[in-house]
Amino acid sequence: MIAWLFRFQSLFGLVLVFVAAVVFSPVRDGELLFLDSGNLFNVVRAMSEIGILAVGMTFVILVGGIDLSVGSVLGLASVGAAVLLVRQDFGVLPAVLVVLAAGLVFGLLQGVVTAKLGIQAFIVTLAGMQIARALARIWSGGQGVEIAYGDAPGRAPMAFSLLGERTFNGLVPIPALIFAVVAGLAALLLRVTAFSRHVYAIGGNEKAARLSGVPVNRVKILVFGLCGLLAALAGIVHAGQLNYGGPNDGSMAELDAIAAVVIGGAGLSGGRGTVVGTVAGALLVGVLRNILTLNNVDSNVQLLIIGLVIVAAAGLQRLRPAAVG
Amino acid sequence: MPKRARGALSLLVGVALVATVAAACGTTSENAGGGPAEPKPCGGAGGKYTIGVSQANVAEPYRERMDADIRQAAAGVPQFTVNFADAQQDNSKQVEQVENFLTQKIDLLIISPNEATPLTSVVKKAYEQGVPVLVLDRKVNGDSFTSFIGADNFDIGRKAGEFVAQTLLPGGGRVAEIKGLSGSSPAKERSDGFKLGIGGRNIEIVASADGDWLRDRGRQQADALLKGTPGIQVVYAHNDPMGEGAYLAAQDAGLSGIKIVGIDGLPIEAGGIKAVEAGRLAATFVYPTGGKEAVEAARKILVDCQQVPKVQGLPIERVTPENAAEVYARLNAGS
Repeated sequence: MIAWLFRFQSLFGLVLVFVAAVVFSPVRDGELLFLDSGNLFNVVRAMSEIGILAVGMTFVILVGGIDLSVGSVLGLASVGAAVLLVRQDFGVLPAVLVVLAAGLVFGLLQGVVTAKLGIQAFIVTLAGMQIARALARIWSGGQGVEIAYGDAPGRAPMAFSLLGERTFNGLVPIPALIFAVVAGLAALLLRVTAFSRHVYAIGGNEKAARLSGVPVNRVKILVFGLCGLLAALAGIVHAGQLNYGGPNDGSMAELDAIAAVVIGGAGLSGGRGTVVGTVAGALLVGVLRNILTLNNVDSNVQLLIIGLVIVAAAGLQRLRPAAVG
Repeated sequence: MPKRARGALSLLVGVALVATVAAACGTTSENAGGGPAEPKPCGGAGGKYTIGVSQANVAEPYRERMDADIRQAAAGVPQFTVNFADAQQDNSKQVEQVENFLTQKIDLLIISPNEATPLTSVVKKAYEQGVPVLVLDRKVNGDSFTSFIGADNFDIGRKAGEFVAQTLLPGGGRVAEIKGLSGSSPAKERSDGFKLGIGGRNIEIVASADGDWLRDRGRQQADALLKGTPGIQVVYAHNDPMGEGAYLAAQDAGLSGIKIVGIDGLPIEAGGIKAVEAGRLAATFVYPTGGKEAVEAARKILVDCQQVPKVQGLPIERVTPENAAEVYARLNAGS
């Protein structure tokens, strides 16, 4: 039970923050503003891009790595989607495929350099962060690429704009739905497959894993590929939500994603963490930011509070009994 | 890599892909047929009004000054309560903050967008809910807003170019350009405008670099440009802090004859007008924040129940050593 509490600390944190948000919610016309369904879905929508990044980041952190490039890859993918749709007259499916493939390849390459050349992931992805940002600016021609919709050449197909819309009677934002699907599949992948056993084994003790026949390099490369792929997906969602490919967008998003993973109970040394924890971590930050903003708390104070939450989450993991790994 | 794992991974990839496209296809458009805003009945002088200010990035002195201008002007209107949000240069965060304002049911939105296109749809949403929207500095697309208040970045670049061509280098010459953050729209517009301004005058931009709007980056880039390219006579910086950085670089390189032109002309101690007065910049151009004008427009709409013009262009003013002290005093009058 105790072990479970630590394992899913962010889930309990989320419940706590949620209750606090209800208690502190401003009231307007007899209604709690926080509990308004539109507001709750806004929270999930706002966190969906960071959430998708954080899911990919969870895998990388589980194998003891880190990926600093995801924010830049998000920007690159948003530019890529915009340029392909608007300037190259791609259809939605080919454009999405090309951009996802680009993200996957970018991630795989980082994985290859990390695993095969033995350079630390921090350094490889720090370089990747600069490279992806540079590519985004070059590809966009140094300016944000506006996405206008319609059938004429130079316009994107209407279908793409639906990424910014809502479904189920205009209630559920599509990005939130995509986030949910990604999180669900990732959770499944981390529970039931041999891949999952390998990931945890590498994070727990890479040498031992290698000796016991785990294809360490291959798993690592795939994990970085997956992270790049999801970063590209987040970038596509970004472009669709904002009708814009932003060469500077997503900067610092990697840190928000890492924060979500850490609040979710993962350790940066690897081997510990869950997708459920990460998702709860991301939502916790979203709810916190929302309730603080609804109460007009100064944005600098908000940063301070979120910083303290990260420290608290990491601190809690230090208290975790060693045996429950 | 075991087969099962590979299978699961490709499944994940595939489904994520299908989810993106398919989810996007089976929905109804939420904003379909959104007509023009049905304005709320005007409350007049007896009401209390909450104004939400969505600022792109308070870390920039220019935008900090904009917030300060709004705060100061709003203090003079007893009916107004103003809430500020800072998007920290993040388009997504700014969308979220405007949505939060709408949840709070604000009476009027003042927004200075980080970039135009990404903020267009949420501004439209606010406008269509009947919330008057005042857009400052950077326009959004379309016309779903109440009023745009601001100056023109292209125009201010052009004026800087004309000043260089007519006053600093009447016989032609060599210019270095320190640009704003690559990929941001004002950097592009201030650059394009400048090129038009110097056109046909035998002036050549011999070197350029991105200074990211920052003083230290401006200095670093100017260091390299001045060493790498001989004969630079004028440095054109897209904002004053980068101009100040270029000044330091020129001093450092022993090139005291270089003239530096900046933009923004903030009327604060650390701003460009003071730098012109002290002789570090040859000129700057005041890019007004529009904060005061926005509160004035808000008062007209909410308290006086009047219409405001759709576009309110703000004048650009040239600041040289001759008028610097006067402009500084005038822009700070009443504060």
